Amino acid sequence: MRNESCRMKNGTLSFFILFFMTTWTGNAQTTIGTISSDETVFYAQTKQMNQFFRRFNGEEDAAGKRLYSGDPGYHDLKARRKFINILFDNQSPLITSDQKYVFTEEVLNKKTPYLLDFHGKDWFAELSTVFLYKKEKINIILYLKLEKQNDGYKWVFSNAWCDRFSRYFNHIGDTTNLKYFLHPMSHEVDFMNMHKIFQDDQNIDYYLEDHYIPDQLALFVMLVKDEALKFVSVNNLKFHIFQVPNWYFEVSYFNRNTYNSGWLISNLVRVNEKEKKELLKQYRNSSP
Amino acid sequence: MKKLVLSLILVVSLITVSMAQTQEEISPQRKQAIDSLALEKVRDLSKYISIIGNKDTPWSEAQRVIERATELFMEGSEIGVSSLSRPDVNYYKVREYFDRLMQLNYDRVNIEWYKIQYVSDLERQPDGSYVGVITIYQRFQGYDREKGLVYEDTTKKDITVYVKRKETQIGGRLIGFWDVMLGDIRVKETSK
Repeated sequence: MRNESCRMKNGTLSFFILFFMTTWTGNAQTTIGTISSDETVFYAQTKQMNQFFRRFNGEEDAAGKRLYSGDPGYHDLKARRKFINILFDNQSPLITSDQKYVFTEEVLNKKTPYLLDFHGKDWFAELSTVFLYKKEKINIILYLKLEKQNDGYKWVFSNAWCDRFSRYFNHIGDTTNLKYFLHPMSHEVDFMNMHKIFQDDQNIDYYLEDHYIPDQLALFVMLVKDEALKFVSVNNLKFHIFQVPNWYFEVSYFNRNTYNSGWLISNLVRVNEKEKKELLKQYRNSSP
Repeated sequence: MKKLVLSLILVVSLITVSMAQTQEEISPQRKQAIDSLALEKVRDLSKYISIIGNKDTPWSEAQRVIERATELFMEGSEIGVSSLSRPDVNYYKVREYFDRLMQLNYDRVNIEWYKIQYVSDLERQPDGSYVGVITIYQRFQGYDREKGLVYEDTTKKDITVYVKRKETQIGGRLIGFWDVMLGDIRVKETSK
């Protein structure tokens, strides 16, 4: 399997050089610029997530031309094999060549090849953002997914995560606590003892059920609306894709001066459907 | 003038008499025509940026070109800039970005564009209009009279393109056409 992977890597380089030359002459009339230096790196680079989808699915040809249903080479398995091979971050310590091989074989299975669906479910953007909170810059991770509205689409927040928010709930499930609780007969006195717990408001989270999962997205919205959170900047972006059965992979942007750059698979994990269901909870809160 | 005529020809070539304005799908053939129109606007933008950045361009001419360049954009469009050393994004209004470009403190600048480009699919938005992104690459070099080349970078520019179905009345008839406007631009320095 490792030899196979090595052979594919060498093939990829010639794949791009050959195809770049084709593009150079083929697209000469639609060029923007004037620089005639070596641009093979930019050509090989997976420049947009849109191109990641096209290359993964075999919806662009060797010269980078968009292919549509009915065009020769559309979804062609041989071309897809070459493209998928270049869509991996080849410096990632998280992806073994064996994993890569098995993933590619399963995706390109002749009977049931798998395609990515831009409009499909089970893929998410993870955006690292910076906000100002109590005069301090804090990082908030926002998870987004595509949602259909009318006949169009839009990105919507599916979840949020902030270390700062988690601190508000660090007493949940604390079994060593023998002090902060409402006694079991409180109902008989119409919970008249309730007022005592609010005299110590920093310990309010001791009174939550032990498996409570805080809705960080709700907190985020509330803090923004209360003007307690002020947006500063977007930062790093990556994508989590669950669309291939029994696999999860992450796509990140690699800004480097090599053929292996742009949007690439940075992590690949074999997961069964039950594990996938659990993982998905992180990205879409409790919504279906 | 020649360019204006060319643009008009392109717009006219996209004109259709369909009245089904909000639900119209974009076929691959129409997409190609819209891509050409969008690329034409991006080409204009790259030309304008080169003129604005050129130290030999007189101030009044630069102002006129800034006006033309600003007209390519939807109102409220912004340029988000990051560099290798500073990953968070600085936002500039389009006009502000051009003004800053004009005032760069170099004796001479050289702005060139790589031939490579990438045009995304057009995605329909909830309001019925379409949006795509065109990626281009620019090389910038700033020179000092005495020290020579003092700054150089290559940036990737991801340019949002909005495509809207519009209608106009010509000779009493309602004619539909696709209008292309530029939107936000993300500027990322590429690795050396």
